[in-house]
Amino acid sequence: MKKLSWVVLCAVLIAGLAMTGTYVQAADPIKIGIVDSYSGPPSTYTNDVRDGFKLAVDKINAKGGVLGRQITFITRDDKFKVDLGLSAAKELIMREKVDLLVGTINSAVALAVSDLAKKEKIPFLVTYSKSANITGAKGHPYVFSMNENTEMVGKGAAAALAKLPYVNYWIAGDDYEYGHAIAEGVWSNLKKLKPDVKLLGESWWKVGEPDFTPYITSILAAKPDAVIVATGGAGCVPFLKAAKATGFNERVPFFMHTATELSTLRPLGQEAPEGVMGTANYYFYYPDTPENKAFAEEFKKAYGRQPSFGSVIGWFTADFIAKAYEKAGKVDPEKFAQALSGLTIDSPIGKLTVRAVDNQVVLPLFMGKTKKAPDSDFLIATDIVTIPGEQTMPSAEDIKKAREK
Amino acid sequence: MSDNSTHWKWIAAALGSIVLFFCLPFVLSRFYIYFAALILVTGLLATSLNMVLGFGGMYQFHHAVFYGIGAYTLALTITKTNLPPIVGYLLGPVVASVLAVLMGLVCVRLSKLYFGMLQLSLGSLVWALVFRWYSFTGGDDGIHGIPLPSIVSSITGSYYVTAIVTGLALLVMFMIINSPFGRIFQAIRDNPERSEGIGVNVTRHQLVGQAIAGFFAGVAGVLFVTVEGSVFPDLLFWTLSLEILIMCLLGGWFTFLGPMLGAAIMVTLRTVVGVYTEYWTLVLAIVLMFLIFFLPQGVLGYIIETVRPHPARGQREER
Amino acid sequence: MEFATNLTFSAFCQQFLVGLSRTTILFIVSSGLSLVLGVLRIPNVAHGSLYMLGAFLAYSIATAFGGGSTGFWLALVLAPLCVALISLVVERGLFCRLYDREHLMLLLFTFAFMLLARDLVKLAWGSDYRSLSAPSMLQGSFSVLGMPFPRYNLFLLIIGPLVALGLWFLTNKTKIGKISRAAAVDREMVAAVGINVSWVFAFVFVIGCFLAGLGGALVAPTQNITQGMDHSLIMEAFLIVIIGGLGNMWGALLGALIFGLTDSLGILVWPQFAIVFPYVAVVIVLIFRPKGLLKATW
Repeated sequence: MKKLSWVVLCAVLIAGLAMTGTYVQAADPIKIGIVDSYSGPPSTYTNDVRDGFKLAVDKINAKGGVLGRQITFITRDDKFKVDLGLSAAKELIMREKVDLLVGTINSAVALAVSDLAKKEKIPFLVTYSKSANITGAKGHPYVFSMNENTEMVGKGAAAALAKLPYVNYWIAGDDYEYGHAIAEGVWSNLKKLKPDVKLLGESWWKVGEPDFTPYITSILAAKPDAVIVATGGAGCVPFLKAAKATGFNERVPFFMHTATELSTLRPLGQEAPEGVMGTANYYFYYPDTPENKAFAEEFKKAYGRQPSFGSVIGWFTADFIAKAYEKAGKVDPEKFAQALSGLTIDSPIGKLTVRAVDNQVVLPLFMGKTKKAPDSDFLIATDIVTIPGEQTMPSAEDIKKAREK
Repeated sequence: MSDNSTHWKWIAAALGSIVLFFCLPFVLSRFYIYFAALILVTGLLATSLNMVLGFGGMYQFHHAVFYGIGAYTLALTITKTNLPPIVGYLLGPVVASVLAVLMGLVCVRLSKLYFGMLQLSLGSLVWALVFRWYSFTGGDDGIHGIPLPSIVSSITGSYYVTAIVTGLALLVMFMIINSPFGRIFQAIRDNPERSEGIGVNVTRHQLVGQAIAGFFAGVAGVLFVTVEGSVFPDLLFWTLSLEILIMCLLGGWFTFLGPMLGAAIMVTLRTVVGVYTEYWTLVLAIVLMFLIFFLPQGVLGYIIETVRPHPARGQREER
Repeated sequence: MEFATNLTFSAFCQQFLVGLSRTTILFIVSSGLSLVLGVLRIPNVAHGSLYMLGAFLAYSIATAFGGGSTGFWLALVLAPLCVALISLVVERGLFCRLYDREHLMLLLFTFAFMLLARDLVKLAWGSDYRSLSAPSMLQGSFSVLGMPFPRYNLFLLIIGPLVALGLWFLTNKTKIGKISRAAAVDREMVAAVGINVSWVFAFVFVIGCFLAGLGGALVAPTQNITQGMDHSLIMEAFLIVIIGGLGNMWGALLGALIFGLTDSLGILVWPQFAIVFPYVAVVIVLIFRPKGLLKATW
């Protein structure tokens, strides 16, 4: 009896699985699988990526698609966990038989899926993870980065900081790969550009730290000229809040990557501190070009909110995909990868190129200061300085060296 | 699990499923082979937890640490040393077991919730170490693309290795449960004071239990690397520990194969429901609530009770 | 990696004060958890979700009332009450049928509830970060020994002892408090003298959840209101309850102090490894005092 029940149970289980597998797949549309974290704090970025992507895909499809085929995409939530991301990616490749993989915001998931993409020879376009290892040390012909990476931030920010008069710095940040990579990138490049800078000390906090006041007060105690804050994503908002509450921004100038980004400033409303130096890759109000305006309007019309950098990434990723298939002339992973490498397209932020040497998209960086704006519910960036993409890219030799290791 | 005939029935059922699992790759597509391997690994992990949870009555709140350490040991042996991978495969479970004993030495003096929370803190220290030691463990990015021996590099290969090792591990665990040691262990669960009274060294038995559970968690850890080719600090995080605890309770923590079933249900739910909606956790939550109300013994516990209304039920209720 | 370059007396005092205000939130949340765990014996992992819910509700209520000072004060009162109401419904509808079950099954149930709450919050509030402003009288900071100290943290320092006093009064001076303390020790005995234990439990559960909601509402102005708030807090709250002594309110206060202070002073002394200090503290406490620092109720 018991044996029977066990066997029946197994059979039911397998039948259940098989049923989900009986999807008939139409040969027609090009199928793209997106693995990303749609739960928890990161979803504020990933939803923008997905919405931007969808907007562009709909537009492409309305014009008749690519190579006469429509583009469809399916999403999977990895809940910011590597094991879930990895098994979702496998499911997309093996069961859904997607032609391409797109995702994700979690660097560890991106690296794990990148390794899978290499084995399965499926092109993988990383949309939001900023790990320099993706196209650097762990790069391969099938992985593409559609976002800046920590090296680029470091180089770009250092170029801007070197022009400022500060000498004694303090470094603080999220105690995980991203925080350390940003800090290390900025500091090593700053040291090169301006050898007399001094590091007074560092503080690191755990990711998701709820209250930054203790750290800020201990930084103030050391009296640095300026502070480099390397906190990512969810940490930016509470840090700026604590900075405002303690008057940190009035006492010590500090630089923070993504501080001026929409995703950071919008939730803070009028509560954000003024005068914070921050870099970002995109503002919906800058660059003030017709292309950008058109995109911002289109996005706002579709979703009722302003586009953030994530929305632009989603948008141009879809565009890159379409253009690369057109260039390749057929839907084939290898041809696609070759076509995308070195491809240049037009985007809301000007011409964008995927570098052939490491499959990294070349992005300009904008550095600005936060300021209250009369007609806006939240602070915006002013005094924007553009750091062209070419200046921030790691050299081909550096990439080669990193990959040899 | 009392008389001899039950033993044989269980062993026959196990053999039947071994044959079934052997045949799977011939009928299933690549994804489902991988999927089956994933269920086996997770199930083995949950079963190893249940060795001390269900059969030892110990509140093992941070079992994932041993799983993660097993996985990391293999990954680091392959990537950082020139030793053959088989050394890593052997070392993984052993290191996990040693860690389990070390942590056990500190924890076993405490009981129930206190034991669990102390283990949780100690385990979190280990997690913090792995998470922070960038140069050695790769920090929070983890280690990916671990070059595995050729026999397990294909999906079918890794499936067979996983299935065989899992089968053997289950067999050994089953034998341990039914050995004199296992019986004393269960007696300690049911009444530690009385066991102490009749001259059983409770602490030592519990330590041995920890060693065994840690060992098999380590086995599951190296199998995870075999299946996925990656390690990352999530493997040692307390949320995973909570999840496998849930698997045990869901499947039935007083049955031997319950945790395996619980793992299968959880992994299937998140994969199958995850295809349709990102809110699969909502579905899981509702399923769990229904189970608690209607199947308090866990799924397998319920099946066993319905199929065989034996005296065993009365004994259970007494506890 | 410089070591302790900034260890001055004023910085130490500063950090100490900040650690204290952090303790307040930890205390409020974990005293609620401690009550539920001590009296009802439910290891409520959904406690963190109620805290998150409190923060989100506070945000919504404050925004609904215009977002100014009135909005904030109303939110501070209404949000915990809403959380308490929700918990009352859940307790009467579901939990009260499960009290005779094994603790681990209750854990499983609260886990399911945690998953449910997480997805419902996501459905209700979406994925954007939310931020709530403190009323203008509590914004900004004043100077303590030449260091800025946020006004809001001072407010927390006042609220903390008030809540502790209120709880002490409730558990020691009121009839229902005394009954629930008795029920924590021996529920059969309490039932035997003709008291409806079920309603006592409901009362305690609701008070515990109210405290979680209050913690969430109080913390809202200092940080990002986002999904995942439950995650980081619940583990800390459990450890605090354990080192303090199960069900002991003063224990929760002591545990929260240890947690808040090791964390904030650890940053000053050794920033690179501040992350491990609280865990080390728990390990040390449990090795020397296996049942927690103060007397546990069970």
